[in-house]
Amino acid sequence: MADRIFAGVLFLVAIGYTIIAFTVIRAPFQYDPLGPESWPRILGIVSIPCCLFILAKPDVSSLGLPAKTWGRLAALIVMLLVYSYLFQPLGFILATFAFCLALSLMLGARLVTGLAFSAGIGIVGYFVCTKLLELNLPAGVLTIFR
Amino acid sequence: MDAVFSGLASGFQVALDPFNLFLVLAGCFAGTLIGALPGIGPINGVAILLPIAYSLGFKPESAIILLAGIYYGAEYGGRISSILLNVPGDAGAVMTTLDGNPMARNGEAGKALSLSAVASFIGGTFAVVLMSFFGPALASYAIHFSPSDYVALMVFAFASLASLVGSNPVKTLLAALIGLMLASVGIDANTGVARFPFGIPDILAGIDFLVVVIGLFGMAELIHLVEQQAAGTLRTLKIDKSFVTMKDLAFTKWTILRGSVIGFFIGILPGTGASVASAVAYGAEKRAARDSSKFGNGDMRGLAAPEAANNASAGGAMVPMLTLGIPGSGTTAILLGALLLFNITPGPLMFSQRPEIAWGLIASMYIGNVALLIINLPLVGLFARMLTIPQQFLTPLIAVLAFIGVYSVVSNPHDLYMITLLGVFGWFLRKLQFSLAPVILGFVLGGLFEDNLRRALSISGGDWSILVTSFNSVILYALALLVVVVPILVGRMRRGRSEGESPQAPS
Repeated sequence: MADRIFAGVLFLVAIGYTIIAFTVIRAPFQYDPLGPESWPRILGIVSIPCCLFILAKPDVSSLGLPAKTWGRLAALIVMLLVYSYLFQPLGFILATFAFCLALSLMLGARLVTGLAFSAGIGIVGYFVCTKLLELNLPAGVLTIFR
Repeated sequence: MDAVFSGLASGFQVALDPFNLFLVLAGCFAGTLIGALPGIGPINGVAILLPIAYSLGFKPESAIILLAGIYYGAEYGGRISSILLNVPGDAGAVMTTLDGNPMARNGEAGKALSLSAVASFIGGTFAVVLMSFFGPALASYAIHFSPSDYVALMVFAFASLASLVGSNPVKTLLAALIGLMLASVGIDANTGVARFPFGIPDILAGIDFLVVVIGLFGMAELIHLVEQQAAGTLRTLKIDKSFVTMKDLAFTKWTILRGSVIGFFIGILPGTGASVASAVAYGAEKRAARDSSKFGNGDMRGLAAPEAANNASAGGAMVPMLTLGIPGSGTTAILLGALLLFNITPGPLMFSQRPEIAWGLIASMYIGNVALLIINLPLVGLFARMLTIPQQFLTPLIAVLAFIGVYSVVSNPHDLYMITLLGVFGWFLRKLQFSLAPVILGFVLGGLFEDNLRRALSISGGDWSILVTSFNSVILYALALLVVVVPILVGRMRRGRSEGESPQAPS
């Protein structure tokens, strides 16, 4: 079933991709025999039967994950999205501290070690990357470190 | 012949430059550490560290030497978690667990680790030596390839990918198509027409290679690690005092040599890397052995064959990457993308136009293999301690490294969302038994495939028969057909034979 749902979604995407390739993409002037539209058309036409084949003969029936695991994965995705959202405005140090703390606690770290670990990654990571390796990381609200 | 030796001499000049030498050693060391971490293999390690290596502002040859060091270092280190934990770092290390872990449980952990280190060293060195001779020869042949020959080469690459990688050929093909489709997004370089922009300005220039790599191989791995998070901690076996003896090496010398040959040539095949190589080497060794009853219970041959093969395949996979611009494995696809980031197009001209990169890389692999053997024999205890790093700290660290990498290269918060979404997508692909390597191969080869197809048809003025008129392309199409048909026939034959024979123990 899981296979079918995924292949179904891919199938719709492939259909959409092919339709766009056949209708929207057009060069104002044909420079070469194929133009920009032929290659996407070929890809679309080849991918549609592949999706149909998987729809007809799926080999993974279910993902077989308990509800608890789904919950943990959903929490991880939320954390990652929040981390992405806060990364620039809050700055590397604070955003990383919060993210590492939340994730390590969820994965079973104790509070004290989790705090020490997250603070270490945030602060040491920032200075190693910006000062030693000269990478570009956002300072965010902690403007004194810029 | 002279060209090889003078090339090697100039390569060693590059690789022995103190800074590059430091990078070789650093890359090998970091690679072994990454390989030793349970659940993280060469491809994830290279993917996570690629953007950081890129934004450090090294010269291209230095950066590629570092990344290649991480690659074969991780192939080397993968055996540690396989043997001591029975948890393979990636698909290429699965075969190592079959006999390596039983050896460790029989109280021969030290012997298993040192034997596999020597086997890896021989496999790796064998591959580099062959590569020094094969590479330039293949390059000087491929220099005459026309665009239509390249199209045939791509067809061959995708045919061998679909036929040899993964369990379901249709899924592998679809994965490669997903990669090709992702590569087709953005402005077409020939005509300036925007394809599939959906009004998002960030993807007008195409989807960033780094974002795809980090998303599919960094973030998807992270999600996988969180999914796998077991309640208890993993138990590591102790490293004892046993060590490999000359007698053991004499016993396994032909095994190691066979494994190296198999590994190298499977590595050369486009798209098929360590996982196929080690599986074939293990199977061949088991069939060739007169007494195969100990296989799976700690037979030294069962450990030496896949280890020699997966390190040899790392070298073999570099050959088509450097000479044809077609990566021989998922990880070399990332290395190829890395070279493209530096505006270097690998291909037959690289040996003559950018010898410092081609030969510098090859020379660095000679040095790296020796360095790996030296650091692996005495320091294996240190690497083994990596296994006990609690997962709750390792997992966030991977995310942080991925974020640092993407942000320091593109400085665009939009890409941080992209890697998370691609990670979710990659995780689903993985759960549904699609392999991820074909996606990245498709993504890297997409532009090259399309360009050559269009160029070929421009030459012929739109006549498709140009694709099958040259000798080279006909041979390549025949090979493509062969690589699809032979595994099917072999499978049939074997099934037929095992049905005909008297019932036997399941293998």
